[in-house]
Amino acid sequence: MSFLTPLFLLGGLALALPVIFHLIRRTTRERTGFSSLMFLLPTPPRLTKRGRLEHWLLLLLRCLALALLALGFARPFFSQTTTNAAALPGAARRIVLVDTSASMRRAGLWAEARARVDLELRAISPGDQMAVFAFARESRPLLSFGDWTATPPDARAALVNAKLAEVSPGWGATNLGAALIGAAEALIDTEGQTLTGPREIVLVSDLAAGSHTEGLQGYEWPKGVTLRVETVAAKAGTNASVQLLADPTDGDRQTAATVRVRVRNAADAQREQFSVGWVSATGGALLGAPVETYVPPGQSRIVTLPVPAGAAQAIALRGDDEDFDNTVFVIPPVAQKLSVAYVGGESADDARQPFYFLRRALPTTPRLALAVTPVPPGSGVPGDAAVVVVTDALSAGQATALREQVLAGKTVLAAPKNVAAAVALAPLLGLATWPVEEGRPKGYAMLAEIDFKHPLFTAFADPRFSDFSKIHVWKYRRLDFSARPEARVLAKFDSGDPAIVEVPVGKGRVVVLASGWNTEDSQLAVSSKFVPLLYALLEWSGALAAPGAPQAVEENLALSAGPNEAVVVTGPTGPATTLPAGTNRFTPLQPGIYRFEIGGRTEVQAVNLDPVEARTTPLPTDELERLGAPVARSKPSAVSPIGQEMALQGAEAEGRQKLWRWFVVATLLFLLGESLLAGRAARRSVTAPASLAP
Amino acid sequence: MAVANPPPALAAGTLIEPKALMGIRSLELRARAVVEGFLHGLHRSPFHGFSVEFTEYRAYTPGDDLRYLDWRVFARSDRYNIKKFEDETNLRCQLVADQSQSMTFGSGGHTKAHYAATLAATLAYFLHLQGDAVGLLTFDENVRDFLPPRQRADHLRLLMLALEKPAGGRATDLAAPLERVAQLTRKRGLVVLISDFLAPLEQLERSLLLLAASGQETAVFQVLDPAELTLAFERPTLFQDMETGREVYVDPAAARAGYVEKMTAHLAAVSGICEKLGVAYQRVTTDQPLELALFEFLEQRRRRKTRGRV
Repeated sequence: MSFLTPLFLLGGLALALPVIFHLIRRTTRERTGFSSLMFLLPTPPRLTKRGRLEHWLLLLLRCLALALLALGFARPFFSQTTTNAAALPGAARRIVLVDTSASMRRAGLWAEARARVDLELRAISPGDQMAVFAFARESRPLLSFGDWTATPPDARAALVNAKLAEVSPGWGATNLGAALIGAAEALIDTEGQTLTGPREIVLVSDLAAGSHTEGLQGYEWPKGVTLRVETVAAKAGTNASVQLLADPTDGDRQTAATVRVRVRNAADAQREQFSVGWVSATGGALLGAPVETYVPPGQSRIVTLPVPAGAAQAIALRGDDEDFDNTVFVIPPVAQKLSVAYVGGESADDARQPFYFLRRALPTTPRLALAVTPVPPGSGVPGDAAVVVVTDALSAGQATALREQVLAGKTVLAAPKNVAAAVALAPLLGLATWPVEEGRPKGYAMLAEIDFKHPLFTAFADPRFSDFSKIHVWKYRRLDFSARPEARVLAKFDSGDPAIVEVPVGKGRVVVLASGWNTEDSQLAVSSKFVPLLYALLEWSGALAAPGAPQAVEENLALSAGPNEAVVVTGPTGPATTLPAGTNRFTPLQPGIYRFEIGGRTEVQAVNLDPVEARTTPLPTDELERLGAPVARSKPSAVSPIGQEMALQGAEAEGRQKLWRWFVVATLLFLLGESLLAGRAARRSVTAPASLAP
Repeated sequence: MAVANPPPALAAGTLIEPKALMGIRSLELRARAVVEGFLHGLHRSPFHGFSVEFTEYRAYTPGDDLRYLDWRVFARSDRYNIKKFEDETNLRCQLVADQSQSMTFGSGGHTKAHYAATLAATLAYFLHLQGDAVGLLTFDENVRDFLPPRQRADHLRLLMLALEKPAGGRATDLAAPLERVAQLTRKRGLVVLISDFLAPLEQLERSLLLLAASGQETAVFQVLDPAELTLAFERPTLFQDMETGREVYVDPAAARAGYVEKMTAHLAAVSGICEKLGVAYQRVTTDQPLELALFEFLEQRRRRKTRGRV
């Protein structure tokens, strides 16, 4: 039998106490109250003979209780040789989480992180299990518990180091919350084994403030799993970052194209003066004159840069110590050319007619060069027009030609000004005859039953914008779509007649408005709904490209490839790679300009660092505690591995056997017996009259 | 002085055992039980109707104030009798009770303090029944409560309340209360001192003398526990003085002889002082029925009166 804390055996010396007490029992401290000591003289106390013990059974019980207590405190256990240390239920399980996010690219951080992992490898005992996970946006195991136990103990450190040598900090954001949750789940997943040893996550990270920890907020941390944070700190220096901002809302009205970037300076920065300018996609020197900006530590400034002509595709910041977050890649906005054909005979200056309003509703901006081209009566409709607007009666030739284009996928907006114009749409809609009559509402009609789920109206779905009742309609054409059951009524008048109807024709569609926006018919042209409705139509027709969302590294990028279209990707570095046909997802691993060749089309996408990742001010460990993670303060002790191993094995064996419980139980039993015996002896010895003191 | 043999009417069987008596919680009820039992026991006895100082008539002699002539008696008996004043005839009794810590000792289920309080209450109740004025002074090392002799009905209740207060104090000073009584009691009367007298006796003689000089008739009850007389303990223990807290390790077997000797001497000294000063002295132990103490008290009074008249 061995003892985990043999020093407690010294408590056995307390055995002498009951023996002494039994010897000097007669020197009692029992008190008797007496009215007056006037007539009493002190008597010298008599001792029992030294050689004679009274109540030897009591003495034995007391000695046994003390001895068992001392033994119990010494934590006895039966030592046994363990053949498979990994299978020990009391072995510690430890996951080392190594941060490989972009902020770890800062000078010296990765080397320090590897040194920390090395320290962990040295401190671990052979019985323990260890796994190494690397994480940035996603967490991935470098070495699992299975790999660890399968590797001989002396080769484990080398294996971990080899695995670590294969990875290096990438460009991803730090999703610390998800990584911690994943590691905690991996720790409590014991794969059917009963493991009672400590479970610990060792986080080796720079704990940048930009780490996404919000995932931890709703997470209930599993019991028994502790977290130890090994923070690697960067050298004191200035880190400023540059972040691309979305276009201002009024960007379309600007005369010259600009790009806005936010320059953010870290709170612990030592410098405040930076310059921002355009560079080529491969980096290098600033092109043209940079914009000088002054950003105090912990603050940010927005810098507007004009889009230069030429090959500049990135904006770079100069003047700080850390380079990883100093470049944003920008695809300079290119004005999109769109043409809208208008079939109607009126003058462009007649302020009562549809054409007048249409031209003003679709102006040319730096991003969008819109041309509204009137089509003279009888002449052909140009094929390059994105959308054709018809308000007047189509000639038979026009109708036939237009139907061809619609069948091929064109979108036509028809708002017949009168019954004749409406009837002339019959060939376009594929109808032989189309009964149309003039609808004259009493007073005025309003739009009702609008289908806000349709792409034309989704922008108005919000209750703040869904009020169409201010648009009064005085005249409309009562249209009958019973011959075209596939026609979808998007809005009706309050009289129940269809107001806006989408009629699919081949690949294209014709949107028919029963009432035009000329001042004679309705107030639509002067309402706030008119322009958004037209742009919604342009977007729906597929002619107007929606503004692309900013793309971050390691985020999935949606590709518009068809099922059989091959995708060739040209990244910022390296040769072009061909993705398998039908791929519509791509995950860029580093920032830069990506060019996708999809079935003859070319799509260009700028991929940038997650702007949050640039916030490198260290996060206080308290923040993790606040989120519920049980952060341990102690560091692994520097006990020599062999001695530590022995001690740990002893602790494990003792923890399994728990012999001390039996010793404590036996102690309690002996004490109970002692109390009963002593109580009986005391009752027997009481013969003197008891004094009575109130 | 030992208690005299009780009359046959007070023989065992009619007496209440102190242990049973002390089981009664209310002091007033205890006193009433003793007095009524006592009076019941005296029924048909030769002592029926006697009083400590009963009102009497005396024959008219020329020169007496005619205002005090009792005309009713004259009408009945055709004799001139002078009615004596209430003030003259009624007894004024001042009970002086020791409430020091040493009185809290008791070996028989009740303490000396309980016994002494019951004794005082019994006397008070008895005298009150007779229409006498009773007062009370309690003391330890200081005077605690002082109630002048009165005859009112609620006065008895106040007296009981004062007697029921728990004993306190760290010493017994016999001189101060007696001097106080001498100062406060101008009129002649009876002073009954109830104490264990377990205190130095130097001052006792002088104080009692002072009382006698002020015209007070004095009676002394020394209340003791039986265990105090014989040191009835077996196991050697630390004896703790209840008043001073002083501790002394005593083996009773070894110390008993010396203790009894000193105690006997002390008791003799107390009774000697009383004898010398003509003070009625009575020693009672807490295992004696109270009726006997009351009987003995009255008997002594009667003898003194007889003696006085003789």
